[in-house]
Amino acid sequence: MSNEKKNSNNSNNSSLPLVIIGLVLIAAIGGGWWLYNKNSTSSKSGNTAVANRAANTARTPPPNAPIGAQPPNLLGSPNAVVTVEEFADFQCPTCGVMHPKMKELTSIYGSRIKFIFRNYPLAIPAHDKAYDAAVAAEAAGLQGRFWDMQNLLFTNQAAWSSNPDYRKVWEEYASKIGLDVEKFKNDMAGLNAKSRVDADLQRGRALNLSSTPSIFINGVSIPFEQMNIETMRQIIDAELQKGQSNQQGQTTSGAPTSAAPTQSNTAANSAPKK
Amino acid sequence: MSDAGEEEVLTEQSDNKIARLPLLAALVALVGLGDAIYLTIHHYTGEKVPCSVTGGCEAVLNSSYAEIGGIPLAAFGAAAYFIAFSLAVLAAFGNRLMWKLFGFQVTVMAIFSVYLLYVQKYEIREFCQYCLLSAAVCVTLFAIALFSRFWRS
Repeated sequence: MSNEKKNSNNSNNSSLPLVIIGLVLIAAIGGGWWLYNKNSTSSKSGNTAVANRAANTARTPPPNAPIGAQPPNLLGSPNAVVTVEEFADFQCPTCGVMHPKMKELTSIYGSRIKFIFRNYPLAIPAHDKAYDAAVAAEAAGLQGRFWDMQNLLFTNQAAWSSNPDYRKVWEEYASKIGLDVEKFKNDMAGLNAKSRVDADLQRGRALNLSSTPSIFINGVSIPFEQMNIETMRQIIDAELQKGQSNQQGQTTSGAPTSAAPTQSNTAANSAPKK
Repeated sequence: MSDAGEEEVLTEQSDNKIARLPLLAALVALVGLGDAIYLTIHHYTGEKVPCSVTGGCEAVLNSSYAEIGGIPLAAFGAAAYFIAFSLAVLAAFGNRLMWKLFGFQVTVMAIFSVYLLYVQKYEIREFCQYCLLSAAVCVTLFAIALFSRFWRS
């Protein structure tokens, strides 16, 4: 009798853990499915994570790549031997994370580098306002305040991205940085700002960029895991040193030689120097 | 290591009671499972995760370390937590071999978590709060397994 009871308890015990495991598996799959549907419908995004992930292979841009918007949005010295060229999307969260780092870099190096910001709004549903945001930044640039608008767009990315009345928000930014708001609105609708964005886009496409941010230092693509201050400083320092020794070599030998960096495989250098 | 501690943890099976440490481990593994599923889903939907504590989630989750062979690391994590949970549940009901396997698995997971912490600190230089939670869960599971080994041994 007691043996029978024990056996029955044992058989209950042997199946109970499997039942628990099965229930948790069902709950995990069901919960995951619910979360997936919830996120897909609420954000209408599908590709941000994939789109933002930097392709880590170093690219060799074609020598005849379009030169992008002219003059480019540039910080530092146009004659610097090191060119840092960033392609970014104002709705890309990673670009927002990179923004303060790039600001830090430009403030560290000042006129020792040439920093070029390129618009590369990704044409994906989750970035439905990215192109317009790039146009807004360029429209501000037509009044000489590109960097102020660029800064506001990145630092307030979450606020305007989720606001259906985002253009009003940008007009507030325009007013805040002292723009003629009417001119700003006209420039946003006009062709000048758009053509600058399109020129940057063409350049990015020629470099086969599929993700943002994409950063080139003297034409060499920086893998995402190297997009931190220290690593980029090391690269820039090495390039500065290389540039310095090249200049010394030229002054001592009296003639430019093959030691000069090749122009054909550099993305940023193919932009004409001002 | 001696099995004395492990026996102590699982002796309650003979009385048809559920062993407490494996049960605790199963509950902790559920936290890790939920965290990993959340990150896996966000990886595929691409929606920005709230990141008010550490601020570096996007950088970490969009980094090249967040995927292995095109599969999000979080998906591997979810599978690992589910296996750990299953082993702990089976151990809670008296299967000693499962508890041994659990101990081996969470040791590997804890070591991998330490590596991921290193990557966040020194390679990406940003921290993701969900990844930190996962690391805490792994370390807790490892501590439970270790505790059961040395308990009264």
